[in-house]
Amino acid sequence: MVIIVGLETENKDIENNMQEIAKGLLKEKKVDVIIGYKKGTLPLLSQPIIIDKEEDVDKLLWNNLCYVNLAKYLVPRVPRFVDSEKGNLKVGVVAKGCVGRGLIHLASENKINLDEITIIGIPCNGVVNRQRVEMEIGEKEILEVSVLGNNVIVKGKDFEKEFPFDEYMNELCKGCKIRKPSLVSKFPDLCVGECEEYSNIVDEFDDIAEFESKTPEEKWEYITEALSVCTRCYACREACPMCYCNLCFVDQNKPVWFGKTTDLPDIIVYHLIRAMHMAGRCVACGACSLVCPMGIDLNFINRKLEKIVKERFDFTSGLDPDTLPPMVDFKMEDAEEFMLEED
Amino acid sequence: MPNPYIPMLTKVKSMVSENEVNDIKTFELEFIKEEEYKNFNYIPGQYAEISIIGKGECPIGIASSPTEEGTIKFTIKKMGTVTSSFHNSDVGDTIGVRGPLGNGWPMEELKGKNIVVIGGGFAFSTLRSLILYVLDEKHRKDYGRVTVIYGNRNSGEVLYRDVLEEWEKRDDIDVVLTIDREEDDWTRKVGFVAAIVKEVAPSSDNAVAVVCGPPIMITTAQNELEKLNWKAEQILNSLEMRMKCGIGKCGRCNIGEKYVCIDGPVFSLAELKQMPKEH
Amino acid sequence: MDEKILLKDNIGKLYSELEKEYKFYAPTKVKGNIAFSRISNVEEIELEFLNSKVPPKDVLFPQKETIFEYKYEGKDVIIEERKDLEDKLLIFGVRPCDAYSFKLLEDFFAFGDFQDEVFLKKRESSTIIGIGCNNPRQSCFCTSVGGHPFQKESTDVFLSDLGDKYLVEAVSEKGKNLVKKLSWLSDAKKADIDKSKELAKQAEDSFTTKFNFDLVTKVLDENFEHPVWQEISESCIGCSSCTFLCPTCTCFDVIDENDEYNNRGRRIRIWDTCQSCLYTLETSGHNPRPEKIQRCRNRIMHKFSYYPSNYDCVGCVGCGRCISACPVNNELRLIIDKILEIEEKEKGEKISA
Repeated sequence: MVIIVGLETENKDIENNMQEIAKGLLKEKKVDVIIGYKKGTLPLLSQPIIIDKEEDVDKLLWNNLCYVNLAKYLVPRVPRFVDSEKGNLKVGVVAKGCVGRGLIHLASENKINLDEITIIGIPCNGVVNRQRVEMEIGEKEILEVSVLGNNVIVKGKDFEKEFPFDEYMNELCKGCKIRKPSLVSKFPDLCVGECEEYSNIVDEFDDIAEFESKTPEEKWEYITEALSVCTRCYACREACPMCYCNLCFVDQNKPVWFGKTTDLPDIIVYHLIRAMHMAGRCVACGACSLVCPMGIDLNFINRKLEKIVKERFDFTSGLDPDTLPPMVDFKMEDAEEFMLEED
Repeated sequence: MPNPYIPMLTKVKSMVSENEVNDIKTFELEFIKEEEYKNFNYIPGQYAEISIIGKGECPIGIASSPTEEGTIKFTIKKMGTVTSSFHNSDVGDTIGVRGPLGNGWPMEELKGKNIVVIGGGFAFSTLRSLILYVLDEKHRKDYGRVTVIYGNRNSGEVLYRDVLEEWEKRDDIDVVLTIDREEDDWTRKVGFVAAIVKEVAPSSDNAVAVVCGPPIMITTAQNELEKLNWKAEQILNSLEMRMKCGIGKCGRCNIGEKYVCIDGPVFSLAELKQMPKEH
Repeated sequence: MDEKILLKDNIGKLYSELEKEYKFYAPTKVKGNIAFSRISNVEEIELEFLNSKVPPKDVLFPQKETIFEYKYEGKDVIIEERKDLEDKLLIFGVRPCDAYSFKLLEDFFAFGDFQDEVFLKKRESSTIIGIGCNNPRQSCFCTSVGGHPFQKESTDVFLSDLGDKYLVEAVSEKGKNLVKKLSWLSDAKKADIDKSKELAKQAEDSFTTKFNFDLVTKVLDENFEHPVWQEISESCIGCSSCTFLCPTCTCFDVIDENDEYNNRGRRIRIWDTCQSCLYTLETSGHNPRPEKIQRCRNRIMHKFSYYPSNYDCVGCVGCGRCISACPVNNELRLIIDKILEIEEKEKGEKISA
């Protein structure tokens, strides 16, 4: 009795192609299970789905509402991906660029074994910024959403509104240069849609240009303003594939390092320190912003840190599974102005 | 009705180390306000939320019996942040006490019955309270035979040696002490608690077993009892769960629809079998 | 006729009169979301809203709350209890589902031998002005838990939104006294009352989500170990948004915050969630609910099986916030459908929930 809401997109070709590839993988037993997305029950949502039968591939969906970073389900592996006799199953992941980056980065941190993963690379052109659309529509219920060309068409009981997709997509998606997982170019038959050869990914970090142009006081004001509504639910941490610590720093109690209340200092400390722990590891998937129940655009702090990592260490996360992230590695050429004397 | 979150204030009268490695101490607390002590009416098996105010609060079973007048005693093992701060405190320090909480051992229903007390490790504290209460001359005739089986890893871990020695001298209580492995100066029994239960083979006739200890000891001891034809209704456990408020409001100690802090911590095995296995 | 009319233009007058006596809470827009905040001028009130993101329970049971403050003088401790628990509060614009949640919260905090004074005193000092829902959402299901979009019980004064004015009905004694004080309210006409009834009927007929919770409770009681829970908890990421936005979730943690240098501090309570893996973790390292499936199951069982055992009604008000909040769309309606499928398979027939 739940009404399943669909989303009509031009991505039908991509969706059909993906389903074909998925079917082939299951048929040839190259994978045991596939995780992807399926239609959600609310107009602006999709759901993750795990399938293990060929006849279920037509449930797999591809559209601009595929938010969740599926890499999250690999670390730790959800029970469906582990068999009591065979051990770890071979998993196929329907991966847009950032999901693939997530998987590759986790492989570089030895949390997953890429031999057990097949990445079905999807060329993503961005996801709709759900919270922003909902806030623009305000206090009216959204009943139907479709994306046609550059238009996000939102309908309700007595209204219809159009938004330009390039403005109302997730902030991160706007400047995203990594639209497909990098490994896909090694296995072109797994690339859905047109495959591009890219080896020089250059992230321009346009999305934080406005934040960077502020003075330090303005930046502090912006950060504290944005974070002030945090309820400390930790959805951001739970949704992030890179947050897999058994005991998060904020939960430590021998001794207690940080406060857990919604007092502003406690909130700021939690978010800034989590961002520091993510430096060089964030794959810009935006899951943290998209799951926040209060609609805080959390990702901008991480983006700034990633830019600094790129400038200082010439490193972009999630492109090469064999390169260690800079915060867990060192090179003799690393700058150490603050510790060693200059020769 | 007083605010149940506000602790009553007590002072540490004495601190006695109970074991060789010095990580279990018994604290004797004296209430600052006379009438708060008078209103602190507890039965064996109940616990209190005690705190070093500023460091945190934790639920600890009351080790003293209501028959020991003037002060209340708690035996605390150093395990986490709050318990460590107890161990670092001194005589004269202020301790907050909220209680008595929980349902306690069912002293009324135990009347007229033989009581078999099976304890392991430092979970023996509320059992001390129970036994002292039963043995007190005011109550002794209300209860039947008392058998105590108390096991520990080694002889250095045996708590309450002073009262144990007194009980061994009495003829209205059988005390069987055991340790896991042989030791030079140990003349009493050797073996795991479950094995000793099998050996002693307490009769289930008009009897109730009170079992308290680490989870593995409880399970194995209960299996032995069931082999000796003990029914699940006759076996009582005191459960340990993470508790914060102690009054059934913070939610974390729930097992099914029951809260261990108010519906327990004492449950019969029969009741536990009805509840989900989440403890 | 006892019913009155309050023109929307006169909200300012209502506010300026009442704020002298009460701490006035109303729906406001905070960073794009509706939230119940204490207002300092009438411009802040948002009258056009569906419902707040965080339920109004956070006025009476905030995310962080001081239980008591203390100071050390040598080895002695002096405890300072809260003195503001009897301050009068007025919460304006509460939807019937949230007003019903106040009743459930009150029953919970008063249950058993111990009364949660901190919440109950505030509840007693608060006055609730409810507003009926002209446009329930697709995800709302208050009618399935014995509620109604125009339910007046649990409010003190009930408003029906008639467009440019509200129909005002006093419900409780507190409400009657309040309406009496607002003597400048004009009397309602029969047409107004009829309009309100019409809106109530329209709202009631618009519900698409309906459940038979008695059946759900029965199936849950019998199927604690059923493999369906594997399916239900599969996509859950443990983000705990559902518990943080739920009007009937009450779990909290108690923390002592100590200011070492000034020998004083406070004991506070903060919201906690059964979805966290640390929730039941004991100091010994033993964890009664180490797996996500157990935690996911515990939330559903708590609301729809354990709560009914203790209180004879489900612990849910049908507001639908958990349905909109879940980022992986693992929403309550799908979960209930899967649970009822167990019964269907057993009986071999389709069950319309």
